[in-house]
Amino acid sequence: MDIVYTGEWTWVARLGQLLIATGFAAALLAVFGYLKGSLGDGNEEWKRFGRKAYWVHVVSFFSVIVLIYILIFNHRYEFQYVWKYMNNGMPTSLQFASFWGGQEGGFLLWMFWHLVLSIFIIRKKGVWEGPVMTFFAAVQASLACMLLGVYFGDYQFGLDPFLLTREAPNNLGLPWTKLADYLTRVPMFEDGQGLNPLLQNYWMVIHPPTLFLGFASTVVPFAFALAGLWKKKYIEWMRPATPWAFFGVMILGTGILMGGAWAYEALSFGGFWAWDPVENSSLVPWILLVGGAHLLMVNRTKVTSVFSALFLIVGAHLLIVYSTFLTKSGILGDTSVHSFVDSGILPQLLVYLLAFAGLATIMMIRSTKERWVYIGVFAILFFVGYFGQAVIPTIIYVALLGFLLIKAYRKDIPKPKVEEELWSREFWIFIGSMVLLAAAIHISFQTSLNVFNKLLEPFEGVFTSLYESTEWPMAKSLADHSFAPNTDYKQSYHIVQVPLAFLFIMLIGFVQWLKYKNTDMKKFVKKISRSLIIAAVLMSVLLLFTEFRASDFPVAALVFACIFAFTSNFDYLISIAKGKWDRSGANIAHIGFSLLILGAVISTSQSEIISQNQIGNIQDLNTDLNNREDMLLMQNDTLQMGDYFISYTDRYVDGIHHKFTVQYFENIPRAYEKDDIVYYGGMVFEAKDDHIASRNFIEQMADNWRRIDFPNERHAKEAIRWSSGTKGDSLFTLEPRIQLNEQMGNAPEPDTRHMLHKDVYTHLKWARLSEPETDEEGFLEGRAHDVHAGDSMIVSNILVTFDDIIALPDSEKAANNIFVDDIALQVRMTLKEKGEEKVINPLWIVRDSQIIPDMVDVDDWGMRVLINRFDPTTQTINLTIWEHESIRRDFIVMQAVIFPQINVLWIGCLIMILGTTLAVRHRIRLARQPKLEE
Amino acid sequence: MNKTGIVLIMLIAIVVGTFIATFTGASTSVSFDEAFENPGKEFKISGTLDKTNPVIYNPEEDTELTTFHMIDENNVKREVKLRKAKPNGLEQSEKVHLYGQFENGEFFANEMLMKCPSKYDENNHLLETAEASVQ
Repeated sequence: MDIVYTGEWTWVARLGQLLIATGFAAALLAVFGYLKGSLGDGNEEWKRFGRKAYWVHVVSFFSVIVLIYILIFNHRYEFQYVWKYMNNGMPTSLQFASFWGGQEGGFLLWMFWHLVLSIFIIRKKGVWEGPVMTFFAAVQASLACMLLGVYFGDYQFGLDPFLLTREAPNNLGLPWTKLADYLTRVPMFEDGQGLNPLLQNYWMVIHPPTLFLGFASTVVPFAFALAGLWKKKYIEWMRPATPWAFFGVMILGTGILMGGAWAYEALSFGGFWAWDPVENSSLVPWILLVGGAHLLMVNRTKVTSVFSALFLIVGAHLLIVYSTFLTKSGILGDTSVHSFVDSGILPQLLVYLLAFAGLATIMMIRSTKERWVYIGVFAILFFVGYFGQAVIPTIIYVALLGFLLIKAYRKDIPKPKVEEELWSREFWIFIGSMVLLAAAIHISFQTSLNVFNKLLEPFEGVFTSLYESTEWPMAKSLADHSFAPNTDYKQSYHIVQVPLAFLFIMLIGFVQWLKYKNTDMKKFVKKISRSLIIAAVLMSVLLLFTEFRASDFPVAALVFACIFAFTSNFDYLISIAKGKWDRSGANIAHIGFSLLILGAVISTSQSEIISQNQIGNIQDLNTDLNNREDMLLMQNDTLQMGDYFISYTDRYVDGIHHKFTVQYFENIPRAYEKDDIVYYGGMVFEAKDDHIASRNFIEQMADNWRRIDFPNERHAKEAIRWSSGTKGDSLFTLEPRIQLNEQMGNAPEPDTRHMLHKDVYTHLKWARLSEPETDEEGFLEGRAHDVHAGDSMIVSNILVTFDDIIALPDSEKAANNIFVDDIALQVRMTLKEKGEEKVINPLWIVRDSQIIPDMVDVDDWGMRVLINRFDPTTQTINLTIWEHESIRRDFIVMQAVIFPQINVLWIGCLIMILGTTLAVRHRIRLARQPKLEE
Repeated sequence: MNKTGIVLIMLIAIVVGTFIATFTGASTSVSFDEAFENPGKEFKISGTLDKTNPVIYNPEEDTELTTFHMIDENNVKREVKLRKAKPNGLEQSEKVHLYGQFENGEFFANEMLMKCPSKYDENNHLLETAEASVQ
């Protein structure tokens, strides 16, 4: 009996699934048609068939996308995908963005861009259409597989974007799924869940589409490369592929930078790059693509490094697939705070990745017979892996690919007869692409440690016995197979990437001055010396006249390299390209890139946390002021922080955000004169000379202050608290906020003041979000503290000092209703607030081994005190203090970081994007007119 | 040996070097017991937050001390003192990785990484209410 569900758009689900299946089948037919149409000299009829099948595929998937948007904008929450990422309250632009909230949408977005790009290839017609589209359609078919959503018994093949919630596996059979009117009865379907609040900002609208277009663009040069290998046209594929490769560099680079900007603006890890797996796995393909694109460019002029070009171009696309594998399969598990859950498609993604890696490698082998032999071996490995254990066949498979690549490099791929000259442009671009490759391998490897752990699993036994016999610690680590990156995560990347970046950026500086084939070294040295000298001068200016101090030598070298790359490309732009900027996309892009890295290095290496705790446990002040990063701000207190005075004034709720207003005032430095007396850290100091206070007392303590160990009466009377300055005018206001997010935990979002030469980046570490609980009389929950005589603490605005702990003399016991046999201690406490003082003496009474509570109410001060225990060995009193809500002051804990010169980074980004766009435009023009001079 | 060969050898050397650096620098997870036996030495300990004990953070007393209990991979439960402000999402975390050491019998963590809850589990509790409302 088939239930008809009222209000449910069941037909859309069926239509959608049908369209996906059609699109998949059409892609397969397109592969077949194009393949037959590209054999030998080409067969127009088969090509036409392939083309028609491909158009069916295009229309099917465009329709799928339109259908899903219809569901989204009509709030059809019976569809699981719509329910998860959409809700009624989201603004329109975010509703639009909810499409790519989940993996299904991600795949569709990726495929969408492929469809768009392929239209350009088909419309161009020409001799390449056939072979290129064969591979392109194969990629499309494989991606379509990811969305088929069919079940083979228990095993789910592909995700289903049209899954109805009631048909989801974990809901099957539940009683409510049998109700015909479940849509109106079950409250869950009234509204969707919506995008994770962390994602609800404008970046979610622009970053994923751009990034996915970048991903998609790698498939075009990839398909050209395979087409070239297939038709044995090892060089000719490069020319048409070059503009596409640079297009990929531009778009993917832009997408990645957007991610960094988003992180900086909206997330509170205090930066724009965290070397997180999601970030790394997009960066690595981009690096390879840059290398490959430059090699393609070189081949326009001289055939060289063909294998490397193939390797990098193919690698760029395969690493995009690998990135998908890492982020969507759940294999990274615990190693990333970002990682997506295992949605069950790990095997599929793995097969996809390995299949295309295998295909590309096979194509590199020249002999068709050999290819079939290896395909046979792959098939055997696949079956063993599928039905048995997956890890070992995968390792063998990958090793086999490596072996084949080496064989192809030596025997099958053409190499120039005469080796390149040392000082030729092409040789150094080759070196550059190898440096990039090294960087990419390192990042990839560190990011993939968890994958590596999985590969080690079957060898646990082997390594354990190895460890037992040799005691080699590495063997134990290998046996444990739980490698994780170093504690100092960022450093583990920087230590390799900084030197490589140095090499690479130096190359950006001087390679363009080299000529193809060979260079006159005298002329070369003359040409670069100008920019080298200017760079050296600028570097010295930087070191001498600014506060820039490199943390270590590699960083300093990198800064120099960036400056040199900047001056050199600028020089080239003016002297050689004579300012023809539309032909100098490369120079402009390089200038942008060097500024980008320069800005990144300076702003992170010179970043300074200016929030240091000033109130807190006063006992701490007597010890060395340890490196505290967070500042506690009581409402309406004004504190000095860095170059400012700040005050937390207000709080309010704005939608799902709790916002906290912090005002920033100018810090007018204070001038101290000789013999001035100050308090600092509980000690008294006398000024040795006239001086202007710096931000930090400790910096000046040795030079300008003399400690007075035994202050006399005059000292005590004259001493005032040291301050670095006085509060001046209000400069600006920031509102760091906390976003309420039940799912992920409340998320702090920064508020940053952007200035020309630096950013003041602030975010909350803690703030009270809910009303504190009070008892019937308005007292908040009491808090216990351990104190000694002589200690002091702050309760709201009250300074509480514990003057003395004495045993109550017998003579006073009677007056307090205490028996002579009782043990009684009296704690003498002084309360001070705004010039007023009060002394209280709570007691601790023990009668017949029972503690009699003596609660002291200091109601007009809004406080209650109860002594809990006394420990005679440590002379410690444990007491509980209750504050009344009327005296309690709200406070926040905040961290503020200065990022100097971070605008250099953003300007560099924009210039780089501009430059690459110009370069792509130029490449397209060149591709059309082969005789045009570069 | 031709120039290309030299470049390739250098490339391989760099790559192998980075592998070695990664492996020797990489930290493996240990248990509380192992860290306890080597006081003062920094280890990585992975586990889950113990939800039966409260997470204590009193910024007025110390802005950078968060105290909670963690259960490590051997099911040993210990109190942990993290030298940072309370990280967001700690209570919702699925897995916790600490980098720290034992000092005087107490475990102090210098750094902590968390795995946030997956985005796919959330609708379960709503479905439970769905169930209940239909019963």
